[in-house]
Amino acid sequence: MESQATSTASATAIYMRDRFGCCFRNWMAQQHLDLDELLQAVSADSGDAEKLRSLAGKSIQHFRDYLEARSQLAQHDAPSFFCPPWCTSFENSFLWIGGCRPTLAIRLVYSSSGSDLEAQLAGGARRCDDDRSNGSGGGGGNLGEITASQLKSINELHMKTLRMEEKLSSRMASMQEEIADDPLALIAKRSGRVGEESESVERVMKRHALSLARVLTEADELRLATLRELVEEILTPLQAVEFLVTTKKLHLSIHEWGKRRDSVLGKV
Amino acid sequence: MIDFVRPRMLNEEDDGSPAKCRERRRRRIEMRRLAALSAAGSSPQPGHGSGDGRVEGPRASGAKRIRASDGSCIPSSSSTSSGDDAEAPVAAPQQQPDVVAAATSVEWYGVMSVSGRSREMEDAISVRTGLCRPELSRRRPVHFFAVFDGHGGHHVSRLCREKMHVFLEEELTRPREQRPADEDDAWREVMRASFRRMDEATMNTCACGSVGSQCGCHPMEVAIGGSTAVAAVLTPDRIVVANCGDSRAVLCRGGKAIPLSRDHKPDRPDELARIEAAGGRVIHVNGARVEGILAMSRAIGDKYLKPVVTSEPEIIYTARQAEDDCLILASDGLWDVLSSELACEVAFECLRGEGSPPAMDLNSGAGAEDNVNGALFPSRSVLAAALLTRLALGRKSWDNISVIVVDLKKS
Repeated sequence: MESQATSTASATAIYMRDRFGCCFRNWMAQQHLDLDELLQAVSADSGDAEKLRSLAGKSIQHFRDYLEARSQLAQHDAPSFFCPPWCTSFENSFLWIGGCRPTLAIRLVYSSSGSDLEAQLAGGARRCDDDRSNGSGGGGGNLGEITASQLKSINELHMKTLRMEEKLSSRMASMQEEIADDPLALIAKRSGRVGEESESVERVMKRHALSLARVLTEADELRLATLRELVEEILTPLQAVEFLVTTKKLHLSIHEWGKRRDSVLGKV
Repeated sequence: MIDFVRPRMLNEEDDGSPAKCRERRRRRIEMRRLAALSAAGSSPQPGHGSGDGRVEGPRASGAKRIRASDGSCIPSSSSTSSGDDAEAPVAAPQQQPDVVAAATSVEWYGVMSVSGRSREMEDAISVRTGLCRPELSRRRPVHFFAVFDGHGGHHVSRLCREKMHVFLEEELTRPREQRPADEDDAWREVMRASFRRMDEATMNTCACGSVGSQCGCHPMEVAIGGSTAVAAVLTPDRIVVANCGDSRAVLCRGGKAIPLSRDHKPDRPDELARIEAAGGRVIHVNGARVEGILAMSRAIGDKYLKPVVTSEPEIIYTARQAEDDCLILASDGLWDVLSSELACEVAFECLRGEGSPPAMDLNSGAGAEDNVNGALFPSRSVLAAALLTRLALGRKSWDNISVIVVDLKKS
């Protein structure tokens, strides 16, 4: 009787575990598809602001879908999002509350805008002329052509995001420090046998997992909000699409590089 | 001790080989294209230049309120005191919105201040056009521009942003009897006194913001933290720059860079001598540092390093000339990755780039319609400040970046 219950529980565990990995793999596959579509648009429809805008919107929607799915899963097992076995260890070393730092988006704008600008200084401004001759209203401007007012908006978004990031970081710090406190530390100290099971331990662990789920969801909301403000409010449609291409290339590449590294180290 | 330094051409010891010249010319040409492109690409962002501040100062081309990078609004210049206002031919307090918009379109200076790759924003900038019309400038308008780069927190740089121009105005409007007879001496005294009073105010203000020692914070809270200060005062016939720390002012004259300040680094020979004479040491810990702590030899604040680190400014002044193009003030976030010469070149090309003014460059229908009064598009000096900032960001500046570009042909 008992053994049957255990085997059902472990079957559920395997099923859930699979769903976690699946959720991530779906997201990566979706990003590959989105990347292809975005790249296509940059080369073929760079003058069609409406099309670019709707493509950027679609990418954001996919990101939102992924976050929604993992927020559901986090109710079952939030801790695994903090060091996910479905990611490579190289990727995991960059994680901040289960994902990239929200301010990373702004750093990425700065670095790719800077490299575009230097490329133009080196004599490659022709591409932008083409953009301009394509003519239609909201299109023009790649990341090398961030305007003064855009720069101001990006900086304001940066400052705002930094503040929220710091708040979440310090909440995370408190949660991490709590392990040295009542009750877990004291239960461990008093217990006769190392790792002794008890109802209270289980209760505490469950509570911790749920707090982690809440922080994870808030961090995801901040990541999404930062990305949305950049893509939908600050950047022009063409810049937005170029920026999304950059983020996706970075994420997908890091994953591949991490996999190669893991296989070299014999981890897979 | 005030050092009076003759402006010196930056490219005196520069390599004038044909290859270098070609390189420079090529870069200038690219710069010109870039400036035009970045002007044309500027999207009409709602909110830009929709002056929520009143236009002040004696000129119709006066400034709107500067919005600081952190979103807090700098109070507009206190031209309420003294009778100076009454004598201004075009005193323009509360103007109608359309006038405000028109005024912003001919802005002759641009500012940009971003946190950049640093997670702390410790820079602050202050611009007060038409600060006052003192006797010292023969009742002609005095404009004030300053960059403050804080360290050990942002409290000192922000205090400088709020107070420096107030002290300056008070010093400028002192009765003649209280001033040296010689005009140069008088200007020097005004700048020295302003910096001294700024430093005293800092000594008296805790990092928590309270004045005096009522706040109950640890005394070290008052003692730590400081800021660079580079302040430029512009009159119709001269530019006076007072500096302490490693922010920098550069004059672009006929396309050439002329330094208007000298960085106060602890290993500068004369500064090293001054530090040692004052009983201090320079220790190399990640660069030359006073007592192994501070990487500059002068600053506002830094009580615990006094008197070795002094707030006494070095003052450089120059008579304005017809070929003066622009004045650039910036924090080391810019100068760490951009030479004064390149910064001048970029600003010069952006301001004087060939082709129509940026606002006219956009030939798409809607934009041109909306742009009748030019209000929607940033001036070339704003573009120049933004372009310099973006260049610094692209060159991996790790610090806050603050830039002020003043167009001297239009001021």
